[in-house]
Amino acid sequence: MEKPVRSIVIVGGGTAGWITAGRIAAEHQHNSAQAVQVTLVESATIGIIGVGEGTWPTMRNTLMKLGISETDFIRECNASFKQGAKFAKWVNGADDDFYYHPLMLPQGFQKGDLSDAWQRAGLAQSFSEAVCYQEAVCEHGLSPKLITTPEFASLANYAYHLDAGKFAGFLQKHCTSKLGVKHVLADVTGVVSAENGDISAVQIERAESKTPDQITGDLFVDCTGFSSLLLGKHFAVPFVDRSDVLFIDRAIAVQVPYADEDSPIASHTISTGQQAGWIWDIGLSNRRGVGYVYSSRHTTETEAEATLRNYVGAEFSGLSPRKIPITSGHRELFWKNNCVAVGLSAGFLEPLEASALVLVELSAEMIAEQLPACRSVMDITAKRFNETFLYRWDRIVDFLKLHYILSDRKEPFWVDNRKPESIPESLQALMSLWKFRAPGDHDFTSNNEVFPAASYQYVLYGMGFKTDMNWRSASETERLFAQEQFALNERAVRQALDTLPSNRELISKIKQYGFSAI
Amino acid sequence: MAKLVSLHNSVHQELRICPEKAESHGAELNMVPVMLSEFLKLAVQFPIALTKNKETGKFVCVAMLGFAEKENLFWQHAKLDTLYTPLHISRQPFFLGRNEAISNLAADAGDQYVVCFDTESDSLVSEGEELLFTHTGEETPYLRKIKAMLAELLDGETHVKAFVESLLELDLLTSMQLDITFSNGESQRVNGMYTIDEKKLNALSGEAVVKLHSAGYLAYIYAMVISTGQIYSLIQKKNARLSLAGLNV
Repeated sequence: MEKPVRSIVIVGGGTAGWITAGRIAAEHQHNSAQAVQVTLVESATIGIIGVGEGTWPTMRNTLMKLGISETDFIRECNASFKQGAKFAKWVNGADDDFYYHPLMLPQGFQKGDLSDAWQRAGLAQSFSEAVCYQEAVCEHGLSPKLITTPEFASLANYAYHLDAGKFAGFLQKHCTSKLGVKHVLADVTGVVSAENGDISAVQIERAESKTPDQITGDLFVDCTGFSSLLLGKHFAVPFVDRSDVLFIDRAIAVQVPYADEDSPIASHTISTGQQAGWIWDIGLSNRRGVGYVYSSRHTTETEAEATLRNYVGAEFSGLSPRKIPITSGHRELFWKNNCVAVGLSAGFLEPLEASALVLVELSAEMIAEQLPACRSVMDITAKRFNETFLYRWDRIVDFLKLHYILSDRKEPFWVDNRKPESIPESLQALMSLWKFRAPGDHDFTSNNEVFPAASYQYVLYGMGFKTDMNWRSASETERLFAQEQFALNERAVRQALDTLPSNRELISKIKQYGFSAI
Repeated sequence: MAKLVSLHNSVHQELRICPEKAESHGAELNMVPVMLSEFLKLAVQFPIALTKNKETGKFVCVAMLGFAEKENLFWQHAKLDTLYTPLHISRQPFFLGRNEAISNLAADAGDQYVVCFDTESDSLVSEGEELLFTHTGEETPYLRKIKAMLAELLDGETHVKAFVESLLELDLLTSMQLDITFSNGESQRVNGMYTIDEKKLNALSGEAVVKLHSAGYLAYIYAMVISTGQIYSLIQKKNARLSLAGLNV
């Protein structure tokens, strides 16, 4: 067999770099001659962006694969539990305008669909409230589990809110001490190319000695953030601008302290519609992370800061807001030759629905699990990787856009968002279908879909979309099934409210006692 | 609800306890926390298992007395029908309380605790057994026995904690899957109980076994493994109770 892929070099050490390094090392790095060596080279001077604070439930699996203890993770990354997103003021901007996109499927979703029955019943309850008990859990600020629930197990499905800066440091410690990842502190100054165009090495200048050196490798992972040093700069893979669909191009973020250490922690991301964008509000265990993402075509920086100040309240004056430019879009390819980009170097979209970290996890997983054995099969893996992730970016763009096109808000930002020329054809086609039937799994073709049909249902019906199902009649069996599911959901709500502690209470207990592994 | 008051030889000189009635504190317990020193005595009658403290999530060792909540299958004809009664019940209605005033000083460790009793207990009686103090205010043998039990419990908690830590460290615990169908067809799932994983126990390295042996834990581990069989006698008790209930109909 030709020379196998043995040495993997990760360039950049944010969460993307360390998650990828860890996943590959955990999967392939064993104490044997056939082991793969993972090296992560990181600049000592370039900081990380570090505003990605919301995860998906997939993060639980990622942490487990890395062999991390959930208790340590929660304690050291100031993490708390996230059970979905509450979208406030996205439909008409009124104070009582909100809906939920919880992390659990609608009651009985595997057996039957409730959206039709919910519409026909004309219930006073919103869709998310009628079909998923997690909304009530979030509204009451409750946690998704008990102190007696083992690590990573759940009563209600959950993800995390975390401090991205602390998380990168935590992963670094774990990957270097437990998984044998080699950590090199150096600036990457250049690329050494092989005859076939591959990267044979990166030239570096070591942080301490300031001496030039180079690191050779069989596969290079570009985790250099927005600068996209290898894929974007070296290989000049073009950037696909998606700002024609998603208008957000600026973020202004602050860290808001809690009133005291017993202040409640929201159990979900709160995302509140504003004049020219929306504000995220994420509760960690020690502070909140709050930020306004907006379109600079629809508001000014001064106005945006005033909007954020207005949301945060009096405390804002003591805080130092961080401003981050955003370019919505992604690279035309993610894997070229022997280089694959993960994280911001691959692309970025506004933080709606926390798609950044999950794309990192999905990329790291695919690289780790499908690691090409040798160079001659790498192009096949690369092609598959590119197809998979182009599909995923497209689906995410569609799903994010969906949140905007159903709004009735009258500000120019929202009106422009509804213009047909800004809506991808793929989404327009789905919207046409959904006029007459609810989103279902067959609307999507991947076996590893990023957003399931249920997520589309939560947003569509949460925002008041009407599917006209009068062309078919509901059977008695369907009616009875729906009745049963609504009743089961009510029971689940009562049970959850009776048993679950508050998010704050559980976080305090984890700090004091910790979870058991079993 | 228990109402605890600290015991004092002048105030409580006339206080009398009926030990048999004190057992009624266990009437509705389906499990009680137990100490390592009790394991061998318990294993001949009760399943010994582990469960998590609801407040802290930490493992504690327990003897199982019943399956359903509040079900004590050893509670018969208003008394406990046991060969050995767990300390947690036999020490009733007495408890140890922290003496805040003393614990702040660098006093003897033993002085940091005071004996308290539950003033709401049915075992407080006006005549009959047992007095706590003599007429000169000396402790009676009964009270001395109770105090020894309380000391054993206090001490025992530390031992249980260290024991559980060793089990967790060696990854020896597994959750117990109990799905029981009783003679009347009624079935019950028992959740939240853990026991020793025998496969992992048998696969332990020599080094780990020596470590457990020198800590004195091997006997406790095997007592626990063997006691698991008492679940069948517990089921039998339940079936007997059900068939009695059936006859009464």
